[in-house]
Amino acid sequence: MLLIEIRILQTFNFSFLNYENSMKKIVGLLLFVMVYHTSLAQDKFTISGYIRDAQNGESLIGATVLIKELGTGVVSNVYGFYSITLPSDTYEVEYSYIGYSSQIKQLSLVENIKLDIELSSSLQQLNEVIISGEAEDENVSSMEMSTNKLDIETIKKIPAFMGEVDVLKSIQLLPGVSTVGEGAAGFNVRGGGVGQNLVLLDEAPVYNPSHLFGFFSVFNPDAVKDTKLYKGAIPAQFGGRISSLLDVRMKEGNNKELSTSGGIGTVFSRLAIEAPIIKNKSSFIVAARRSYIDVLAKPFVEELKNTGLSFYDLTLKTNYNLNDNNQLYLSGYFGRDVFKFDANQGFNWGSKTATLRWNHLFSDKLFSNFTLVYSKYDYQLAFGEDENDFFKWDSNVTNYIFKPSFTYYLNKSHEISFGGAMIYYQFEPANAAVGSGGDVINLSLGKKYNLESAVYINNNQKISNTFSVEYGLRFSSFQQLGAGTSYQYENPVIGESKVVTGFETFDKNEIIASYSNFEPRLSFKYQPNSKNSIKGSYNRMSQYIHLISNTTASNPLDVWTASSNNIAPQLGDQFTLGYFRNFSNNDFETSVEVYARNTQNQIDYIDGAEILINEQLEADLLSGIGRAYGVELFVKKNSGKLNGWISYTLGKTELKVEGINNDDWYPTKFDQTHNLKIVGFYDLNKRVSISTNFSFVTGTPTTFPTSRFMMQGVLVPHNSYNSRNNIRLPNYHRLDLSVRIDGKKVKKGKPRKVEDYFSVGVYNLYANRNAFSIYFSQSEGRFQPNQPIPSQATKVSIIGTVIPSISYNFKF
Amino acid sequence: MKNRFNIAIAFFLVFSWGCDDIIEVELPVGAPVLVVDAWLNDKPEDQFILLTTTIPYFDNVLQPQVPGAVITVKDSDGNTYDFTEQSDGKYRWSPSVLQPKLGNIGSDFELSIDVNGQKYSASTFMGRVPEIDSLSFTFEEGNSFIDDYYYAEFWADDLVGEGDIYWIKTIKNGIPLNKPSEISLAYDAGFSEGGIVDGVTFIQPIRQSINPFEEDKDGVFQSPYLTGDTVYVEIHSISVAAFQFLNEVKITTDRPGGFGELFAQPLSNVPTNISNNNLAIENDVVGFFNVASVSGLGKRFE
Repeated sequence: MLLIEIRILQTFNFSFLNYENSMKKIVGLLLFVMVYHTSLAQDKFTISGYIRDAQNGESLIGATVLIKELGTGVVSNVYGFYSITLPSDTYEVEYSYIGYSSQIKQLSLVENIKLDIELSSSLQQLNEVIISGEAEDENVSSMEMSTNKLDIETIKKIPAFMGEVDVLKSIQLLPGVSTVGEGAAGFNVRGGGVGQNLVLLDEAPVYNPSHLFGFFSVFNPDAVKDTKLYKGAIPAQFGGRISSLLDVRMKEGNNKELSTSGGIGTVFSRLAIEAPIIKNKSSFIVAARRSYIDVLAKPFVEELKNTGLSFYDLTLKTNYNLNDNNQLYLSGYFGRDVFKFDANQGFNWGSKTATLRWNHLFSDKLFSNFTLVYSKYDYQLAFGEDENDFFKWDSNVTNYIFKPSFTYYLNKSHEISFGGAMIYYQFEPANAAVGSGGDVINLSLGKKYNLESAVYINNNQKISNTFSVEYGLRFSSFQQLGAGTSYQYENPVIGESKVVTGFETFDKNEIIASYSNFEPRLSFKYQPNSKNSIKGSYNRMSQYIHLISNTTASNPLDVWTASSNNIAPQLGDQFTLGYFRNFSNNDFETSVEVYARNTQNQIDYIDGAEILINEQLEADLLSGIGRAYGVELFVKKNSGKLNGWISYTLGKTELKVEGINNDDWYPTKFDQTHNLKIVGFYDLNKRVSISTNFSFVTGTPTTFPTSRFMMQGVLVPHNSYNSRNNIRLPNYHRLDLSVRIDGKKVKKGKPRKVEDYFSVGVYNLYANRNAFSIYFSQSEGRFQPNQPIPSQATKVSIIGTVIPSISYNFKF
Repeated sequence: MKNRFNIAIAFFLVFSWGCDDIIEVELPVGAPVLVVDAWLNDKPEDQFILLTTTIPYFDNVLQPQVPGAVITVKDSDGNTYDFTEQSDGKYRWSPSVLQPKLGNIGSDFELSIDVNGQKYSASTFMGRVPEIDSLSFTFEEGNSFIDDYYYAEFWADDLVGEGDIYWIKTIKNGIPLNKPSEISLAYDAGFSEGGIVDGVTFIQPIRQSINPFEEDKDGVFQSPYLTGDTVYVEIHSISVAAFQFLNEVKITTDRPGGFGELFAQPLSNVPTNISNNNLAIENDVVGFFNVASVSGLGKRFE
């Protein structure tokens, strides 16, 4: 372990040299700004502190602090911290967060004030559920666009597959988000690939966010606090993927009292315990889930005696408030999917992540956070009944990340963020061996080492009460490091496997290939009044590691590979423009956004590409360009007995790759012209509520043959136009429904300690057999030579029926 | 062998909510192109080349044959083999005293076809094949899903030296096993070019790839072999290009359906090693040319 750390330090050290100059300039500029400003700011004072939930001590992300006299304010950051600097005066300050009762404080600002605020959930008082966790006019007034936030209470209400509340399935109900179908891992954002999304769990990258291929996600709803999806206008603080960023934040754990929650569902049983370690200073949460189909099936099926089929995860977090200026957080995730066929055979995969964070206040105005992350995704495969004949393969990607970030709350008009990131990657594509007739052959491929680093600076500036801009720059760099071998290829026939023409070997930590990119980020907001705003943005993103997957849905054995001398980093430039408008006192939120994104160095594959255990993988990759554009409409009703939202996206996404589709543009497999989602919640009475969602999506593009021919007794399909994705599957539509029945709040005149509810759901209510794919094949059966073989088309529905579910959930 | 069934059972239990329906779809119309089926070998018997044209995908008829072609194969030893049109439309070369078999191991071959005013050509190389040492039958006890059954296995060692590529063909009771799922390829002793398994016994899944897996009308699993059955296994040498071709034929035609579709690769045209001599004309021919050396062994299950 120590050796690894030393190696990281060494590599970080030299990579620093690469951009030492730009770093120096940025730091110099910052110091200048701070010093310059401090000298002018003698008569100004700062109000700062943390905003938390009064009941459980959880910090509130995105709570509003409004200075009534000035009509301006700030929003708490992801740790609940806020800071605002104002001229000396007396102010009325309103602290608010939707779903919580606001608090108003009269503050006489003659010195710096530290004020931690605890807001009470109005849930307790009003006894009704409010679905938004945002400030009331957040979507209009916030600088952000192309982002969607879903708080866990909303996610829990959406009808779920098998009744299992799911973060990833829920975000697919938002505009611009789609999937290639049920069972497919991951999600697609604005026409981007699954591997172009950065999924973060408490800042740790999650390489495969799915359990059971793609049916469930790895995020335990009992431990999730907040989910935010950035589809565009991504601030300079984030980078590394060109399509989107999904930022999942875990609960810190109740620091007031012991609280236990859990549930029994169709697939998982869950239990979460949170409690203070030192009241108001330190707390923890432990949340675990396990599937139990194997436990139920084993007694009945003799063959399953030695088999295993389970998926489970464990999520942990603890925090310690050292003092007013220092706070520590430690969080971790461990999850696995296990398919065991017998004692020696099977496969399994899973992630481990650990995040250590230290919040430090250098002053009331300078907030900082230092994050250390360890993240590992690995899978293992084993076949063979004895030691003479077997196949064993394991593969992993491991990350070590250091991320310092600073926010300087300069004054009420400027909020400056700056910081950096260093990610050390270690890829082990194959640690594999095959045994045959007693001989053992090692198939392992060499490990690959890479370093990605970035520095950024970003300023959120209010130019006037109606006009704000946010501008930032991220400089990222990437090194492919030794020890290793790099290959040179020649490409005599485009679209076929390239030929090795030479290779070079490198020593430990020698640079094999190096890339760097400036990534400008720019956005503006024009808000003439509290009801309307127009926002726009441009950003450039770069991506240095790539998901290699040539199957319809991505799967757990897909490999990640880094940029190299043969694979250039992916680049994406996105422009967005949006109009945001709220009606009826913020009861209705509406927005229209248009986006356009051009991408470079997109990866596709030669036909028959061999992507697993292939030293010459890069010879089978093709490179091209992409474009995606669309319009997203969103209407959301926030309150009342009937609430919910309608999301509609009109979009197009295409690739142009030499060697595919006659070198012409072709739609990607996740190109969806129309994508309509309707989500509705209706409270029948205080205890019974109904949720429903409806999806309508244009059919997935696919390739159909035109003709056929026989070759050596096999019927081979042929497309005489040599086109890719020339046809669409039938449109996809589905309706889900669920009913939630809350337990009695009061029993025999006494309030019950337990809060519980049953959720009864039906997925795919009218049993639509949506096509996941249509494939072409010769008929079953054995045919004689000189006999025509019948051909057929088969529609595959991954979900071909109504799927009912029931779950019981409790909290006390 | 047993593990295959456990895998199937496990997946069935988990993914039983899906369904596959045979449907009618309308397909775009494509122009017919020339199809060349030229898989030759060095066995001392008649060799055939078939020239046909593609037909619409759902036309369940035999492809029309293309008459009037002049077809020759030349090897690097200076031999020319003329294929002449027969009354049944096939083009045939027959061994003679002077030419007892077609080609030698290690030779290169050129195919040329002159038909309908176009000239086509292709080239290949005849690789070597190992002898099959033995064939065995093994009893496996059934369980609550399947009855007792017997499976066959062939035993042979890959020749030492990387890059020997084979197509393993099986004939059970005189009938060739030629379903898409029964195409069995070996790159050295293993599956693929990426991870070389050289100079050892063929890996277990290849040794056991000579078993037909079939169900009867009631969906009951049939034992691959029963007493009295015969099995004849041949190893044909194929070129790298032929390996890639057959590999893509398998990807394109062997569709497990159901949940497996999640991990299917997009449909694409299989490659060809036959080209029009007029380089300006592309995509007017499909098919493949390979010349194999062959080893074989048969056994009756007593």
